[in-house]
Amino acid sequence: MSAGLMAEFQEAEALLRALRAARAAGWRRMDAYAPYPLPEAAELLDAHGGPVAWIAIGAGLCGAALSYGTQYWLSVHDYPINVGGRPLHAWPAFLPATTIVAILWAAAAALLGMLALNRLPRLHHPVFAVPGFGRASEDRFFLFLSSRDPRFRPEATARFLHGLSPLRVSEVPEK
Amino acid sequence: MSGGPAGAPRRGQGWRAVLDLGLAAAGTALLAWAAAAPRRRRVDAPRPRRMPAPRAVTPAAESGWAAEPASDAIDTRPVAVIPLRRDFGWRFTLGLAAATAGTLLLAYAAVALLLTGTGLWGTNIPFVWGFDLINYVWLIGIANAASLVAVVLVLRRHGLRTAINRFAEAAALAAVAAAALYPVLHLGRPWLFYWVLAYPASFQVWPQFRSTLIWDFWGIMSHLVVTGLFWYTGLIPDLATMRDRAALHGRHLTAQAYGLAALGWRGSVRHWARHQAAYRLVAALVLPMLVSAQTIVALEFATTLVPDWHQARLPLHVVATGIPSGLGVVLALAVVLRETLGLQRYIDDADMDLLARLTAAAALGCGWLYADELMTAWLEDAATRLGMVARVFGPYAGLYWGSVALVVVVPQLLWLPALRRSAPAAVAIGIAAAAGVWLDRFSLIAGGLLRDHLPRSGPLYAPTVPEWTLLLGAVGLFVLLMLLFARFLPVVSMFETRHEESGKDVP
Repeated sequence: MSAGLMAEFQEAEALLRALRAARAAGWRRMDAYAPYPLPEAAELLDAHGGPVAWIAIGAGLCGAALSYGTQYWLSVHDYPINVGGRPLHAWPAFLPATTIVAILWAAAAALLGMLALNRLPRLHHPVFAVPGFGRASEDRFFLFLSSRDPRFRPEATARFLHGLSPLRVSEVPEK
Repeated sequence: MSGGPAGAPRRGQGWRAVLDLGLAAAGTALLAWAAAAPRRRRVDAPRPRRMPAPRAVTPAAESGWAAEPASDAIDTRPVAVIPLRRDFGWRFTLGLAAATAGTLLLAYAAVALLLTGTGLWGTNIPFVWGFDLINYVWLIGIANAASLVAVVLVLRRHGLRTAINRFAEAAALAAVAAAALYPVLHLGRPWLFYWVLAYPASFQVWPQFRSTLIWDFWGIMSHLVVTGLFWYTGLIPDLATMRDRAALHGRHLTAQAYGLAALGWRGSVRHWARHQAAYRLVAALVLPMLVSAQTIVALEFATTLVPDWHQARLPLHVVATGIPSGLGVVLALAVVLRETLGLQRYIDDADMDLLARLTAAAALGCGWLYADELMTAWLEDAATRLGMVARVFGPYAGLYWGSVALVVVVPQLLWLPALRRSAPAAVAIGIAAAAGVWLDRFSLIAGGLLRDHLPRSGPLYAPTVPEWTLLLGAVGLFVLLMLLFARFLPVVSMFETRHEESGKDVP
């Protein structure tokens, strides 16, 4: 039992054609691999970066609130120091650290959120067992059809992939 | 004295602020024009960069599949094989040895400082700040400008980003790392630096959040972390390429090291979509972070009562004069990297041309800022005017005029096509611009203290040998970090290069 079938393509255009064909045929559990971002392919797979932005915005607001709150509580309640009669709640003076900590949290959350949504880091993945998959990080494009899709029938799916004129079709092992 | 208290409004401050803003807008427009001009040209005649087959430089045995037909993506193998070379040559070893010696000097200077104290330095009242702040502000300026150009290129999806972004970000990170030492070392009792952290100390004292020094702590820390995140986020897919390339060369241990750093990146199109969102988001976040971090440094000066520093225009001056130094360093690095690593195809002549013109435009913008500085001082009260006169014509006049010459005048030579296409000239002018900004920081920090509200009684400030050692050490650390970067990581963003050549997403 394999995890699915992988077709290798030479050009991005060929991968996009194959993706459109697979989508039109009703495939849903599939993935595509490319050596550079392919926004059109991501659209065909219903993937977008929006959630990363929301995670970053949320974390940034949290960081801002925490930073401002800490400064307020420490300066006004826990450790008030009178410096020449200046107000204890000196909000303009609290803003630089608030902004910068918000940026720090948002930037860290953008990276961590991206990794979490991508289920990374991980030490291994079955696709790495596909012969020649190393070129997905250089100059080859891959389409993966999962065996968990209800349309998956080993022979019929292989025929379907061969019909898309790939360089080759390989099996992806279960683990 | 006539200086007036810190909070007193000054005559004409309002319209001068408007003038400063106008100046900033004009400078930005000039930079935008310089960046946009070659784009128009590129639309007419696309650069003949895409090559049908890998160059003969990569032997078939090394590349593994050189005989196969070309793919849709541009070939980035020559970039990937560089860090996998067994031998980098004696020049690299020599440079590495020199940079390591410099870093050891830094360690020596730091230990000497810890054992003896800041009495080693030439600083004394009224010159309370010397090389500690001069070098710090200078290095932060370099980091800021290098990050700024990288960020603007990413956000605009400009074609130049493929060539220079990776090492510009690395230079920014190395400069922040070298700069971050100074504020700690100049504390007097550096081993207590953690007192600026808001942590529940047993003696129940908290930091003073209304102090610019506490803002500075957050500014430096965020600068270091966010610059590092920006660089690393862009690096992840290229680390995956390095992993696969090393595995192909049979270097399994190397492949594992790159693989761990690549976090298991496999190039899924879904992952790319989120990666691009995160990368551009961090780029957009770096932009306000740079401005606020450098502004905080400038505010440490502006909030004092020293007449020459106590000005609303100081943050703009420090942020904007930093730009030629960072661009100069990036320009010099670009020349060195493309010549020594044979990357002429990836950092091509059009990229160099554009980078050189950006440096010249930024220098021209600084010329206006210097003029604005003189005009502001002239329109200000007597104390400020005398402070500026002392800085421009006093004992440190050489620093001021040296910085004007190196920051504003010398980079204008880059408008000459013959000079900006010559590698030695570009390196010399780039480093001259960076050195000029160092002189500007020296002039600002030491020269600004020449004339305070009290008569000066002590001797002038002159750096001592331990201070020069510290500067040499910081430069050594910067060079060491850059050499290690060039040795172990791809210096050009490979995925962006493939991406650009595909030409689908470049507006």
